Amino acid sequence: MTGVWALLGALAVAGAIGVLLKVREGRISSRSTPSADLPAPVRDLLAPGVTLVQLSTTFCAPCRHAKVVLSDLADRTDGLTHAELDVTNLPEVTTSLGVMRTPTTLALTADGREVLRVGGVPKRDSLLAALRPHLP
Amino acid sequence: MPKDSPVDPRGPRFSAWMTTVVLAVVLLTGWWRLLAAQTVLFAMCAFISLKLNPWGHVYRYAIQPRLTPTTEREEAAPLRFAQGVGFVFALIGTLGYATGLTTLGMVATGFALVAALLNAALGLCLGCEMYLVLRRYVPALARPQ
Repeated sequence: MTGVWALLGALAVAGAIGVLLKVREGRISSRSTPSADLPAPVRDLLAPGVTLVQLSTTFCAPCRHAKVVLSDLADRTDGLTHAELDVTNLPEVTTSLGVMRTPTTLALTADGREVLRVGGVPKRDSLLAALRPHLP
Repeated sequence: MPKDSPVDPRGPRFSAWMTTVVLAVVLLTGWWRLLAAQTVLFAMCAFISLKLNPWGHVYRYAIQPRLTPTTEREEAAPLRFAQGVGFVFALIGTLGYATGLTTLGMVATGFALVAALLNAALGLCLGCEMYLVLRRYVPALARPQ
């Protein structure tokens, strides 16, 4: 009988995690972080305008989908660049940025100010709308 | 660790459904030998090759020919990592059941079932998403390739 409850509990937990992750997927949070905090591997990727720095790992399946969405968006948008950083062996970078999952995408200005970040695979239209005020 | 070539993503989803069923049967019956077999399966896929997964063969011979072909491919590294996470939970579960620590066995099996079900139903790889967090606490994950 305990096994039945354990099974029902596991199903409920899976349902809750699934709903939570689906809700959070692609959610944009606005930021205004001073540029001094940026780790060197990220700083090296900055381009003129706004750079979307996508943090990925070798073990991240959705990172590939995020890459497709972001590189396509950057190709079609003036002043927007996409760069992917593999953080599989750069834990200090993710720790200092406070990033817990991949893909996480940071939108950074040329002087290294973070304007927003997106967890999971970004949704193209809402991301573009959020970036508009920061684009040249 | 030998490398696997990218796979049809529907194969691992099918395999995750089968794993979910196996783990549900273990929870319902407490049949730890079945969990031990699943543990061995996880280990073979994670540490040797995904090709050793019997569900993958079932998918290729019985299901894939009935589906529309897809050019989509999924990298093997995240899949193998996920199998490794499954292995750890299944191993703890097996040891729990086999030594009489049934609650430990159930909790560990429950975690593995949650991960397998999320993968099967939503294509979510919990272990992969959590890699950064896992790595912080498990230094052995550093530089795996």
